[in-house]
Amino acid sequence: MQPCSREMQGINALLNPPQISLQDLHDQQQQQQSQIQSSNIHRQVQNSHFDPTSHDDFLEQMFSTIPPPSCSWSDLNPAKTPAAWDLNPRDLSDDTAPLNPDNNNNVAFQFDDSANLASKLRNHQISGSAKSAAAAAAMMLQQQLLMSRGVAGAGDSGLIPMPLSLGSADDNVDGSSSFKSPNLGAHDDSVQALFNGFAGSMHGPSQTPNQTQHFHHSQGGPVQGQNYGSPGAAMNQAPASGSAGSAPAQPRQRVRARRGQATDPHSIAERLRRERIAERMKALQELVPNANKTDKASMLDEIIDYVKFLQLQVKVLSMSRLGGAAAVAPLVADMSPEGGGDCIQAGGGNGGAQRNQTASSNDTLMVTEHQVAKLMEEDMGSAMQYLQGKGLCLMPISLATVISTATCHSRNPTNRSVLQPNGGEGPSSPSMSVLTVQSATLGNGTVDASVKDSNSVSKT
Amino acid sequence: MISKGATRNSNSRRIKFARRFVSALLHMRNQNPRPGSLSIEGSVRTRSQRIKIAAYLSMAQAVGSRRAWSRAVLSKLGSRARRHMRRMGRSSLGSLKKKRVIRSYSPGELGQAKKLRQLVPGGETMDICSLLEETAHYITCLATQVKVMQTLADNFSK
Repeated sequence: MQPCSREMQGINALLNPPQISLQDLHDQQQQQQSQIQSSNIHRQVQNSHFDPTSHDDFLEQMFSTIPPPSCSWSDLNPAKTPAAWDLNPRDLSDDTAPLNPDNNNNVAFQFDDSANLASKLRNHQISGSAKSAAAAAAMMLQQQLLMSRGVAGAGDSGLIPMPLSLGSADDNVDGSSSFKSPNLGAHDDSVQALFNGFAGSMHGPSQTPNQTQHFHHSQGGPVQGQNYGSPGAAMNQAPASGSAGSAPAQPRQRVRARRGQATDPHSIAERLRRERIAERMKALQELVPNANKTDKASMLDEIIDYVKFLQLQVKVLSMSRLGGAAAVAPLVADMSPEGGGDCIQAGGGNGGAQRNQTASSNDTLMVTEHQVAKLMEEDMGSAMQYLQGKGLCLMPISLATVISTATCHSRNPTNRSVLQPNGGEGPSSPSMSVLTVQSATLGNGTVDASVKDSNSVSKT
Repeated sequence: MISKGATRNSNSRRIKFARRFVSALLHMRNQNPRPGSLSIEGSVRTRSQRIKIAAYLSMAQAVGSRRAWSRAVLSKLGSRARRHMRRMGRSSLGSLKKKRVIRSYSPGELGQAKKLRQLVPGGETMDICSLLEETAHYITCLATQVKVMQTLADNFSK
């Protein structure tokens, strides 16, 4: 289950009602703002000491003109950010040297104080000596960026004026079903693009035309970014797309038809429906392990198998350990681990109890075996369920012999078996034994778990 | 950060599930000091079956009525439904599902949509779109429940 945990973490961030996360972010933001303010003052004091040049006063001027951070979400509306950015376009022509603060400008454009700070930084032609202050400001803005990433990740889409090109943004907010959705993907893409702009100042602006084109494509509008590096282009697109992005978000019904596609309302509805299904399938793909199938039908099969597997796991867990010895007793009567050296072994606590029982009649085992073989011809899943219902599981013969030689010395493994072909089948999901299931979830060795179980059950 | 919020949410969900499950188990144990009463009630479920039901019930209760599948589970396994079932047998449950399912017209789905509907509780009366959404949430909740049960079994049954 370990592979699931990462995705679940990402998913669960969006599954919970937005109010709770909003409150958390509210508190977070307050803390961050207070931190930033204190760090501002701290750095101001620092800089004023070791920077006796004329840059000294502009730094002080800069930091003093930062408005006190108002920690309300209403301030972060798109209306303000274009105003903050209006200062910048005329400065774009000469931002060759100070790439760091520029990229930080892009990164934190939704926060008022950082935007002001950034604009001040740019307006004052920061040269080398002030780069220390710029680095300090960069760290500050990076903090805010990280917070904004957290906000973007865990908050609603509607709160952050990020350029979203999805008509289904509200849908995601309502259903809160955008697990690893294009919603989050758009956040990540845009933030990633800005990050790349920040880090890409080291690597040069070569990567950035990709992101500008990405923005072009995602917006669908002819926002002509100027060609001077990523920051400028991304920045110019950000306010334009911020205002344009809110427009398709509000009237959901008005879907922009792409070029070359019919504007027939039926086909639009059809297209919307298909898109919605596709994004849900993508979200499911992240949840289900072994999800490298591109085919929709096989993906659905995987999903069905996984749900069955999980339900089976709940059943087994309720049976094997929490059920205790009382649940094991009715299953014990006709089971025997010592009868026949097939690959049918008993799993978990059931196996432990059964190993302590004397061997029951062999013919019941043979009946079981034939039954399972018959079932397997039709449907693997039902065969597995039949086995599980009896407290048995299927495992490769090699593993079975290893376990049997390790635990019971009196075994006589005969390798003739109807089920032998499954020995080489490998870990396809239905033929995973309970032991290996438990090991997958526990991350421990299988043999240890079974031996432990047998010991524990024998003591009780 | 994304991971911080995510682990916090998954942990809180796990704690919620665990608490409800344990309380359900305790409730079951307190109900059970007289083994003779089982036959009187008429429900001859083994203990493991009751534990399984308790697991699903606690899971659905933790989710609440936010999701269609949890509502379906609660209505199916609620105490009233149980009494109803005992009195009138299982046939009454079949008559509750009267609403016809909207067969959505996506021919590439074959019989998988039907199978999925049977697996996910409450999935009979949903279109594909919301069925997929419910499946995703159901999968996460099931995985959490399995983890909770596994940890409980590991820690407390030595």
